Amino acid sequence: MAMGSGIIANGVVCAAAAAGAAACAWLSLGALSAWSEGARLGVIGAGAFAGAAAALGALMSVRVGAEKRLIARLREAAGEIDPLSFPASLRSVAVAARDARRAWGAREAELAARLREAEVRANISEADRQHGEAILNTLRDAVIVTDSFNEVTLANAPAARLLGFDLDGAAHKPVDEVVRDEELRRMIEDVRRSGVVSKTKHAEHTLSPPQGGSASFDVTIAALPGAKEEVGGVVTILRDVTREKEISQMKSDFVSQASHELRTPISSINAYVEMLLDAETQDEAQRQEFYGVIKGEAERLSRMIDNMLNISRIEAGIVSVDRVEVDFAKLIRGVIETMAPQAKAKQIMLVEKIGPLIYTAESDRDMMHQVVMNLVSNAIKYTPEGGRVTVAVENDDASRSVLVSVSDTGLGIPPDALPRLFEKFFRIENYKRVAKGTGLGLNLVKHIVETVHRGQIGVTSQVGMGSRFWFTVPFEFQGG
Amino acid sequence: MSAGKILVVDDEAHITHVLALKLRNAGFTVRTASDGEEAFELASQDPPDVLITDLQMPYMTGLELCIKLKKKPATAQIPALMLTARGHALGESDLQSTNIRMVLSKPFSPRHVLEEVERILGRGGAAGSGDGGGAGTEKEAA
Repeated sequence: MAMGSGIIANGVVCAAAAAGAAACAWLSLGALSAWSEGARLGVIGAGAFAGAAAALGALMSVRVGAEKRLIARLREAAGEIDPLSFPASLRSVAVAARDARRAWGAREAELAARLREAEVRANISEADRQHGEAILNTLRDAVIVTDSFNEVTLANAPAARLLGFDLDGAAHKPVDEVVRDEELRRMIEDVRRSGVVSKTKHAEHTLSPPQGGSASFDVTIAALPGAKEEVGGVVTILRDVTREKEISQMKSDFVSQASHELRTPISSINAYVEMLLDAETQDEAQRQEFYGVIKGEAERLSRMIDNMLNISRIEAGIVSVDRVEVDFAKLIRGVIETMAPQAKAKQIMLVEKIGPLIYTAESDRDMMHQVVMNLVSNAIKYTPEGGRVTVAVENDDASRSVLVSVSDTGLGIPPDALPRLFEKFFRIENYKRVAKGTGLGLNLVKHIVETVHRGQIGVTSQVGMGSRFWFTVPFEFQGG
Repeated sequence: MSAGKILVVDDEAHITHVLALKLRNAGFTVRTASDGEEAFELASQDPPDVLITDLQMPYMTGLELCIKLKKKPATAQIPALMLTARGHALGESDLQSTNIRMVLSKPFSPRHVLEEVERILGRGGAAGSGDGGGAGTEKEAA
């Protein structure tokens, strides 16, 4: 196109001179023939232009305007030539000029049409480019496009954030200067060098974003076709799969842990039933003992399953919550009454510390009962004989919540175990023989308080001195 | 006369209780421990003919116990039968650095445990062998 435009411009200079003086008509004719050549090349140029329009964008629309004006001036300059008005010696030249004028008249129309088309295409192309860029920037995946020279031609904001480069300054920079991760650069290079247009590479790759930490990415690198059959560029897409991987790991850990935990009571049930079947018991008293073990272990199994289901229902957000004004003073007295025989068996003093006020919060009564029951039951389990368990309630006006606490004079919790205390299946190894448990009770309690009721839960403890578990429930439930 | 001395180790009291009864009924002398450390003390004082141990226990796991016993000349020869809820948690190298002869996965059958003990002591072909005993997957140690 550049060459065609140059020739047209040259023709215009001469044509303008021809318009000024009839004596220079031959010059004008020379100009016409030059223009005619220019027009031919111009058309070719327009053809090539249509192909390259996408790249030329805004610049093109300026040129198209200029060329239109040139054509108008040419038409004016050449005019309609009458060979008879020329001296006989120049008549044949004049005829040639007239014919040439007529010939390019047709071409002019064609050229103008093509230029109009090119202009439209250029505008569409520019709009498409902006549209594409906008789409690219709405993606959460990081995208980088490189050309056959391994230079960046396109990238989006997530790519800039992830790989730590300046988005505006990245265009036409070698990818090696933009992407610091060596492994990723190697993958891009492999696909580019493969020379296979249909080549798409999938890989999982760990990156350390400039913001710190490390994240897992699902990387797709595809070769883009060039003008011929060669690889014209490479598009690299990075999808952050860190969260998916974590969830999948958590799920498989849960399944593996759950099956392990469920097998323990099943083991006992299985072994004791077999002993009864094989008549290995000596007397009725021993048989009764075995029945008791089987029943106890079956109940433990059932509790574990209930807890697991309740936790997963809450996690999945499908638990039905019946929010009513719960009187916590009454609820605590109920729990203490239920747990009194257990406390008495261990000579543990189970005391309430309830003030004269009203302690109510909008919550699910059964769930809150389970929370307080679990905490009191744990306190009794891990407090040696002769100890003391105190259940207190107060109104925390600052957080507009009811604050319930269960304190004991028990074993206490080692500091390294505190952060993991509310995790599923977490049990303090050395306390396993102190009491049986599912390892799910505190996780369920935390879910009920935090997930379902938007309250808070915490614990303070000192080994050998005791523990204090507390939780809050907002007076009024906030949120959906 | 005792058929042999067995040491049973598990942090679940129900399990040691039921295995002890099964083995005593078969004529064995049985001692029990509830963790690896306690078991190591008992085995060092009076080495048993067979050790039956759980894998996951507080203080010292069953595997750590077996490795420790093999390192000590007085207890290096004690054959062990491992009970575990995680049947595949043991690798070849774990087995080679111990005297673990058999890994039985939980839930297990006391009948099957008795058969394996008798087989380890060279009294194979005990009555009832071959019925599988209802045990889960098992792994013959090298």
